[in-house]
Amino acid sequence: MTQTPAADAPRRPSPPTDGAVIIVTDARKSYGAVKAVDGVSFEVRRGEIFGLLGPNGAGKTTTMEMIEGLHAPDGGGIRVLGMDVRREATAIKNRIGVQLQTAALYPQLTVVELLQLFGSFYERALPAERVIADLDLQEKRDAQTKTLSGGQQQRLSVALALINDPEVVFLDEPTTGLDPAARQSLWQVIRRLREDGRTILMTTHYMAEAEELCDRLAIMDHGRILDMGTAEELIGRRFKERAVRFSSERAPSDAELSELAGVKRVTRDDGEVALYTSDVPATIGALLELAGRNGIDPENLMIRRASLEDVFLDLTGRALRD
Amino acid sequence: MRSLVALTIANLRSFVRDRAALFWTLAFPVVFVILFGTIFSGGSSEYQIGWVDQDGSPPSAQLRAVFAENAPVELTDATLDVAREQMRDGDLDGIVVVPDGLADAIAAAQGGQPGAPLPVTVITDPSRSTTSQTVVQITSALIMAANLQASGATPVLAVTPESLQTNSLNAVSFFVPSILAMALMQLGVFAAIPLVQQREKLILKRLNATPLPRWTLVGSNVIVRLLIGAAQTVIILGIGLAVLGVEVVGNPLLIAGFVILGALTFTSIGYVIASFARTEEAANGITSIVQFPLMFLSGIFFPLEVMPEWLRGVATFMPLTYLGDALRQTMVGGTPFAPLGVDALVLVGWLVVTLGISARFFRWQ
Repeated sequence: MTQTPAADAPRRPSPPTDGAVIIVTDARKSYGAVKAVDGVSFEVRRGEIFGLLGPNGAGKTTTMEMIEGLHAPDGGGIRVLGMDVRREATAIKNRIGVQLQTAALYPQLTVVELLQLFGSFYERALPAERVIADLDLQEKRDAQTKTLSGGQQQRLSVALALINDPEVVFLDEPTTGLDPAARQSLWQVIRRLREDGRTILMTTHYMAEAEELCDRLAIMDHGRILDMGTAEELIGRRFKERAVRFSSERAPSDAELSELAGVKRVTRDDGEVALYTSDVPATIGALLELAGRNGIDPENLMIRRASLEDVFLDLTGRALRD
Repeated sequence: MRSLVALTIANLRSFVRDRAALFWTLAFPVVFVILFGTIFSGGSSEYQIGWVDQDGSPPSAQLRAVFAENAPVELTDATLDVAREQMRDGDLDGIVVVPDGLADAIAAAQGGQPGAPLPVTVITDPSRSTTSQTVVQITSALIMAANLQASGATPVLAVTPESLQTNSLNAVSFFVPSILAMALMQLGVFAAIPLVQQREKLILKRLNATPLPRWTLVGSNVIVRLLIGAAQTVIILGIGLAVLGVEVVGNPLLIAGFVILGALTFTSIGYVIASFARTEEAANGITSIVQFPLMFLSGIFFPLEVMPEWLRGVATFMPLTYLGDALRQTMVGGTPFAPLGVDALVLVGWLVVTLGISARFFRWQ
C-alpha cells in the first residue's frame, strides 16, 4: 500500500493499525421468503480494493448496502472503521463515500452545485473544484447534470462519493454500461483512490474488472460467499493445470486427444477445443505430432491458465455472462 | 442548519429551472384568476344603485334623471326594504334614499326661505371601501350640483352616509380567495409527485447514504412548499387587488396564518399520498383522484349555499372547504360557513392525522 498525500489539501491521517476496516460477521437479510443475503462473513483490510463478484441477484448490492447503513441486517454483525453500523450509522456515514447505481440526482442542478450540496451534508468536505478536477469533469462544471453522458454521470456519481474525503469508498457496479475507453478511465480513477490510501469495496459482474482491479475477491451467488481470496488464489486452488486451446474444423476425437501426453481433461465449445494439462510442452508436442499425422492444421493455438470465469463455472456450474 | 439551507436552495433552483412545475404552480392559477375575473366581472364598470324615491314629486324625478345621465351608475327603483335586501344579496353596490319633502324644500329655498338641509341617505358597505367611497363621492357631487341648480347658494340637500354590511360577495371577490385555496391545495397535494420521483430514482436512498438527517430533508421540502405558497399568494392576491379590484378587508396576519396552515395541511396530505404510491404514475393517479373531488365539492367553484343538501354533507368533511371558507372570511369578508376557529381546528385536525399516517407508512426506499 502506497500513500501519496496530495499537496493541496490535508488528508486525514490513517490510523496506525493496518487491520480490518470492514468486518462482516454472518450478516443476513431476507425480503419475504427470499434470502437476499444468507450468512455472509468477510473482512476488508485498510487500503485494499475488495471486490464482490457475482451475477445479478447474488446479494452483492444488498450486502454492500447493509454495510453502508442503508438496510438494517436481520442478523449478524457489521462493523465499519471500528463502529457498529446499527448504533453509529451517522458517524460512519460521515467517513465513508457511497456510489449507488443511481441515475441523475437533481437533474436541474449543475455539476458544481450538486457537489457543493452534497458537501454541505458532511462535517468535513473537500472543495468541489478539486473533486471536479480529480474526476476530469471541468468541462461539465456548469452543465445541468441531466445533460451529462453515461460515462460523465458515472464519474459524477464517483465524485459525489468522494466529496467528504472518505476513508472507505463503496462502488456499486461502477463501470456498468460504459464503453471500453470510459471503463479504462474509471479504472484509473479507482486505482488512484487506492494510491491515496483509501479502502475500496466494490461489486462487479465483470470478470476482467475483478481480475484487473481487485486485490481480493469474494465470489457470491444466491446470497452466500462461495469462495474468497486473491484472483491467483481462487484460480490456483482449483486449477493446477493449464489449458492448451485451439480451434479446428476437423479436430481429432476426444479419445485420441485425452491420450496425448499430460492431458487430464478435454472440453469442446463450438469447435474450440481445450486440453487441460499438467505438462504444457509435452502436450503441445504430442498435439502437433498428431495434427501432422492426420493432416490437420490447428488454428489459434494458445496456452491459457484458468480464469475467474472458470472458477465461477466450477463453483456454480454455470457461466457468468455480462 | 447549513445543510438545510443548501438543500432548500437546491430544491428552489430545481423548481425554478423546471419550466413545467413553474407553469403549473405559478402561471396556471394566474390564468385561472384572470379567466374567472373576466367572466364574472361581466365587463360592466357601472355601479348598481338602488333608487328609493320617498318624495315621488317632479323635482325628485328630475334629480333621478340627473343622476342617471351624469354618473356611471345604473339605477334600480325600489322601496327601502327591498333595496336593502338586494344589497345584502350583492345585487346592489349602494342605495340612495331621496327623502319625503324634497319638493317642498326646493320650493321654500326658491321662495327665499330655506330651511335646514334635507338629508339624502347614501347606504354603502364600508368593507368594500373603494366602491363605498366612490358611490358616496358620486352622490355628494351630484347633490352639490343639484343644490346649486335649486337655490344658487344655500344647500337644500345634505348627504348622510349610512352603512350596510353585505352578506354576499360579488363573484370575483368570491373567486380570488377560492382560487388561492385551490392553488395551495394543489401545491401541497402535488408534493407527492417529486417525492415519489425521488424515491423511485433512488435519490432518497442516495441522500440516506449521507449523514443528512431525515428531518432536514422533510424540513427543506416543507420550507420550499411554503415559499412557493407565499409566491402564489402574492401573485393571486396581487392580481385580485390590482386588476380585478378585489378589496382585502381582513387582518394580514390572520390571512398569512391560514395560508401557512393550509399549505402545511395539504403538503401533509401529499406525504400521505407518497406513502402509498409506489410509482410516479400511481402518485399522479392518486393525486388526481384526491384533487378533483376536493376542487368541486369544497365550495371553491360553487358557493356552498347553492349546493344540494347531500353535497353539502360531503363538503363538511373536505379540508379544502374550511381553507376556502377561512380565506374568504379573512380576505374579503365572506359569509362564514363555519367560525374561523372551527376552520382552523379542522385544518389542524387533518394536519395531525395525516402527519401520523405518513410517519407510520412513509418509506424512504
